[in-house]
Amino acid sequence: MIKLKKIYKKFEDKIIFEDFSLDIEENKITCILGPSGIGKTTLLKLISGLSKVDYGIITGLSDKRCSFIFQEPRLIPWLNAYDNINYILKSVYPGQNDRDSIIRHHLMMVGLSDDIKSFPDNLSGGMKQRLSIARAFAYPSDILLMDEPFNSLDMSLKMSVMESFKNLWSDSDKTVIFITHDIDEAILLSNTLHLFDENPARIVFSKTIAPNIITRNISDTVLVKIKTEILQNM
Amino acid sequence: MRVSISSNRNRLIGITIILVFWQVLFMFISKDIYLPSPLNVIRSFVQITTDKDFFSILSTTTLRVLLSFAISTFIGVLTGLVCGLNKTIYEIFEPMIVLIRSTPVISIIIIALIWFRSDYAPIFTGFLMCFPVIWSNVVQGIKSTDQHLIEMSKIYKVMPVQIIRTIYIPSAKPFIAAGLTTSLGLAWKVIAAAEVLSLPKYGIGSKLHDSKIYLESDKLLAWTLLIIIISYLFELILMRVFSMSNKKYDNVLEDL
Repeated sequence: MIKLKKIYKKFEDKIIFEDFSLDIEENKITCILGPSGIGKTTLLKLISGLSKVDYGIITGLSDKRCSFIFQEPRLIPWLNAYDNINYILKSVYPGQNDRDSIIRHHLMMVGLSDDIKSFPDNLSGGMKQRLSIARAFAYPSDILLMDEPFNSLDMSLKMSVMESFKNLWSDSDKTVIFITHDIDEAILLSNTLHLFDENPARIVFSKTIAPNIITRNISDTVLVKIKTEILQNM
Repeated sequence: MRVSISSNRNRLIGITIILVFWQVLFMFISKDIYLPSPLNVIRSFVQITTDKDFFSILSTTTLRVLLSFAISTFIGVLTGLVCGLNKTIYEIFEPMIVLIRSTPVISIIIIALIWFRSDYAPIFTGFLMCFPVIWSNVVQGIKSTDQHLIEMSKIYKVMPVQIIRTIYIPSAKPFIAAGLTTSLGLAWKVIAAAEVLSLPKYGIGSKLHDSKIYLESDKLLAWTLLIIIISYLFELILMRVFSMSNKKYDNVLEDL
């Protein structure tokens, strides 16, 4: 279990977290839902170690590796799809043969087997984000952090990229922390959902969503009911 | 292909305009000592290039240029990389670069003449003039690297050496290429100037000085023309090397 205990974080005179606590279950998808600018990205940065808390502690992270799916794909433009993944695996798998099978498997899982030599500039927005998802899953991390990864995609692309994510996640045992401002994404892709409010950030509503993520349908009565509950608490 | 033919034709037009303007100016002044005719300069050019000492003169100056350029490149890229990556080291280094950059070339040449033998003074001068150009470009290139890629690399715990090789250096490559091209052209000009004052036994600058002493304007322009041609050729070679290294890099990726 990852535990954030009585966290305090200030950024440029603005208190983002004050006395904030949160428990994150392992091997599950926890979604943080809330509007932009309330500290959702800061939360991911604190968990990934990119930023430090001013006060408070975060436990359950020792010796754990993180991978990250950013809002924008953050691919290296002068490396092809294969090498973009190869780049982050070199420090964990010294043997090229080990890396090769992992890279090819993950590219196949996101439907990019035919684009192995394509450079990011030659890939569509959805393909780029699928490549970034493949990279995150290829890395042997325990925790996967996702910062509004479907935000820049249109509806049809969003669905295909979400499918790629689901395929990879069902084969893994990663703990996923997923932040979004989109209620449908949150309902479709989370085991536990926390609704955030601001000044400073706090949880106003939490919900465990039972149905299997792989087979979820947004028009399910259970999900529609949860959506209504969320809207009432916003 | 059509673009290449048309741009070559335009360049030829440009050169013709310069030659016609020069000839007209010569006819107007009609004093060889002030401005020799293009034909006389070409004649002198043939004469100096067929002289028995020509190879020694050309090779010695070329060696000086290449040495100062190589030293500037090595130190400039290395220190530029470190300064680009570390703000504190950058702030320590910057005043020295500003000092060198603001010092007049002539002062540097005279100081170099006091410190070194006439053979080496031009190399030192060339280094001091080229190094800040390369350093600044490398620092600028490193600083312009996309910080999102660096953040991504840190999350995936990529080793710093690999981040430098895969992210920083390719990002800075266009800046480094521009810095090297500029400084190579600068090296030819500065070293010729330093040779004029230091008068080594062999050197194009020494010959420029002799032409001035004997009022041989045609030879003066012929040696100048030689510097322009050689400097341009070196620039072309350098650009060819850069484009070949880009192709080689692409081929490595293709082979994966």
